[in-house]
This record gives sequence, structure tokens and C-alpha cells, in this order.
Amino acid sequence: MKHIVKIMSLLVAMTAVWVGLLQASIVPQSYTWLLPLYSVVSLGCYGLLMVGVGLMQFPTCPQESLLLQKDIIEAKEFLKQRGVDVGSD
Amino acid sequence: MQSVKVANTMELADRAVGFLLSFISLSIFTYYTFWVIILPFVQGDHFVHKYFLPQEYAILIPVFAGVTLLSFLCVFIGYVMLRSKKKKA
Repeated sequence: MKHIVKIMSLLVAMTAVWVGLLQASIVPQSYTWLLPLYSVVSLGCYGLLMVGVGLMQFPTCPQESLLLQKDIIEAKEFLKQRGVDVGSD
Repeated sequence: MQSVKVANTMELADRAVGFLLSFISLSIFTYYTFWVIILPFVQGDHFVHKYFLPQEYAILIPVFAGVTLLSFLCVFIGYVMLRSKKKKA
């Protein structure tokens, strides 16, 4: 419940700032009308950028991959000896 | 060895997709910023106006995309709910 109240108050504060900007006319009015839409689009772009950057920097740990493959082979042999069906390969 | 080669191509594919995503997001951001913020200051007969659609589309396209996304989400949620209800009955 507290979380919703926090988010709602943040939204109300941003709306108040926007209406205040509209009334005070510090920036030209046509810009102020487009400001929320522009913020939403730039937020989406920022999210996409972070996803792309994270993908590019994703670590692959090649040594761990080798160790994992060895563990898999070991486990498969162990289970095959015990009679469990290990499928594929 | 096979697994190391597969890991390398996976890594390359990840890098490529990440780079593509960040490139798309950066280009959308610069195009939209140019469109909304810089273009109103440029005179009406400058040549850059050729590369940008009329200003109404700067509002229509994001709103249309947002509405499409919302309706798709609603349809998807409704479909999943209907399917789960049918499975229970």
C-alpha cells in the first residue's frame, strides 16, 4: 500500500510541475505540451539502450563453461551406471 | 571444444544484438529530439525539413504505438485468463 502511495505522490508531483510550467511560460507553450510525451519516449529509449549495453557486456566465463561440461559428463555417466535414462547425445 | 566454439558464436550473436539494440535506441532518440526540439527553431524553407515528417506525426506515432502496446497487452492477458479458466473447467 505504501509503495502505491509513493508512486502516486510522485506522479502528482510531476503533474504539478508540468501544470506549473504551463502557467508560468518559462519555455514556449508548444514545448510544454509535448514534454510528457517526449519524456516517455526518451525513457523507453533509455531502457532499450541499457538492455543493449548489458547484452554487449554480458560475461561468458569460458573456464566455468568447461568445468560445467565436465560436470555434466560426469553426472551423466554416474546416472547411467545407476540405470537412470539420461536421453540425448 | 565444441562447447567453446558454440559459446564464442553465442557471444558474438549477443554482442551483435546488443549493438543493434543500442544503435536503434540511440538513433530513435536523436531523431525524435531533433524532430520535437530543434526543428521548430529552423526556418520553414530549410532543406532539413525534407528529412522529417510533418510535426503532427511526432505526436501521432508514439501515441499510436503506446495504444497498440496497451491493447496487445490487454488481449494477451485476457487470452491467458480465458485459457486457464477453460483448463480448470
